[in-house]
Amino acid sequence: MFSTSSQRKFWTFNDESELAQLREKHNLEFIAKHGAHVDEYQRYNVFLSPEEERLLLKQYELHLKEFCKRFSPPMPKGVVGTAFHYFKRFYLYNSTMDFHPKEILATCVYLSCKVEEFNVSIGQFVANIKGDRDKASDIILNNELLLMQQLNYHLTIHNPFRPVEGFLIDIKTRCSLANPERLRGGIDEFLEKVFLTDGCLLYAPSQIALAAVLHAASKEQENLDSYVTEMLFRDAGPDKLAILIEAVRKIRSLVKMVESPAKERVRIIDKKLDRCRNEENNPDSEIYKRRMREALDEDDLVYTGQTRMSLDTSGVTQVLSPSAS
Amino acid sequence: MDDQACPRCKTTKYRNPSLKLMVNVCGHALCESCVDLLFLKGSGSCPDCNVPLRRSNFRVQLFEDAMVEKEIDIRKRVLKDYNKKEEDFATLREYNDYLEEIETIIFNLTNNIDIVNTNKKIEQYKKENKELITKNKAKAGREELELEEILEIEKQMEDLRRAEILRMEQEAKKAKIREKEALIDELMFAEGDAKDILNTFAQNAVANKQEAEMVPIVPKVTHFSSGVKFTRGASGQQPLPTFEEGPLYKYEAPIIPDRCGPSAPSIQEIVTGGYLQHVRAENEAEKAGGYSSTLPCLRALQDALAGLYHAS
Repeated sequence: MFSTSSQRKFWTFNDESELAQLREKHNLEFIAKHGAHVDEYQRYNVFLSPEEERLLLKQYELHLKEFCKRFSPPMPKGVVGTAFHYFKRFYLYNSTMDFHPKEILATCVYLSCKVEEFNVSIGQFVANIKGDRDKASDIILNNELLLMQQLNYHLTIHNPFRPVEGFLIDIKTRCSLANPERLRGGIDEFLEKVFLTDGCLLYAPSQIALAAVLHAASKEQENLDSYVTEMLFRDAGPDKLAILIEAVRKIRSLVKMVESPAKERVRIIDKKLDRCRNEENNPDSEIYKRRMREALDEDDLVYTGQTRMSLDTSGVTQVLSPSAS
Repeated sequence: MDDQACPRCKTTKYRNPSLKLMVNVCGHALCESCVDLLFLKGSGSCPDCNVPLRRSNFRVQLFEDAMVEKEIDIRKRVLKDYNKKEEDFATLREYNDYLEEIETIIFNLTNNIDIVNTNKKIEQYKKENKELITKNKAKAGREELELEEILEIEKQMEDLRRAEILRMEQEAKKAKIREKEALIDELMFAEGDAKDILNTFAQNAVANKQEAEMVPIVPKVTHFSSGVKFTRGASGQQPLPTFEEGPLYKYEAPIIPDRCGPSAPSIQEIVTGGYLQHVRAENEAEKAGGYSSTLPCLRALQDALAGLYHAS
């Protein structure tokens, strides 16, 4: 149930400024850690600004959506929704410069497949990825534990898809609306767009679902306001109704404002990221390779039992998956 | 003893010193060779009273009077069932009556008085006291085991003591020889008075003897350090420890957390309210597997309504 979930307690925020604050914080932290040598005025020429990070993530959210469509048999909607949640949650507390979004993206989808019980083996999974598949599977498996740690192991996600089904059943039973099934097209379209916004970090899944249903109804020139006021909120006070109306209005306006970022701009940001990203987490860099080798050697030493070295648990990236060793 | 004779072949102890008389449950004796002859097939009837007998039940006659043997047999059989203890009775009087009843039954059976009724009585008693009989039987078995254990421990102690005594005797012998040799050496080579030397040696010998007698006998360990006796296997001879029972469990309805939204219809309302018309009904195979469409419908409705009041 959403009301008692970790999603409500830890991952549903008050408003957009809170999200912006969190995002700015890790951006500044990264720059303070890696850009001490850079001049104050010069630093955004070298590093990404919070706004640039935002744009980049929007672009990668589109990639995430496209990537999920590539699977055959098609993924259930819940898997995609859960992956979106993970992706957004991860970058609330991490910088794109620390962990490249394209790597985290694949990891999020992989983890989400597991959590939502859509069984895909790592071999089948990387078959949907272009490029070096062995490397991709290494990256995904190496990042999986890190991702779970960053999510604080809050893996259960309440998606708006089941609430939508509930509303449709309720409307069919208690409302005189003709053929409610025709709303589905509008609802699906709306929900797809919601995941490109911060809506799922701000509102309850049932509120998002209701917004989707109301939006689809208004698109079909129908009005379900009486259903909301007389059926759903008959026993609740007017203050609660006001909160809901505001939430629905806000979600709809968020969806209306969705637009894909300019391609040219994103390409520039991507190039900039290649230059300023944390090389320790870049699988192509020498530092990363060396560290992996060290971690491997350390593993070997532990296995032979000649020395008892304390494993560095502070860097989760050092934990190696079986396929990497 | 010399007038012992087999009633069938009339052989006597005098003519055949290796004569062994055997008795069976009926109390009539037969000699060993007659038993071999008559009970070749394993079973047959007694030549005296025609009671059917089994060969395996023959045993050597211990008492001169065969009737005593018969009584022992009967007593054994009757006491198997009449195994109540004094604790099972409220008063001593009742217990004594019970004992007397047993004696009467045994007497009747031994002397062929009213056998039919007596047997009926035994059957009835068996039926009435079935539970108590089995319980006492188990108890008796346990007591027997314990007794055996004690006997074994005693035997071990005895062996130990004997070995100890043997060892001490040997040692004493050796010590004596050594002393003698020492005394002779002393007498041969010492300068002092022979009488003094003899005296000191005699004193030493007495002192040594006392010392030797002080050596205690170490009993063999028959207990674990926890105080539990060694037994044959862990056959659970110890009574189960009893636990103090706490207060009885009392059901408390679970606390339903705040749903943060309008309350969903109950299962009853879903079934009667027409919700199920809008859900895919379960097919036969799913029904066999225990699936019904009511719960998924309820879950969808609950999920839809929970969180609607959520305010940031």
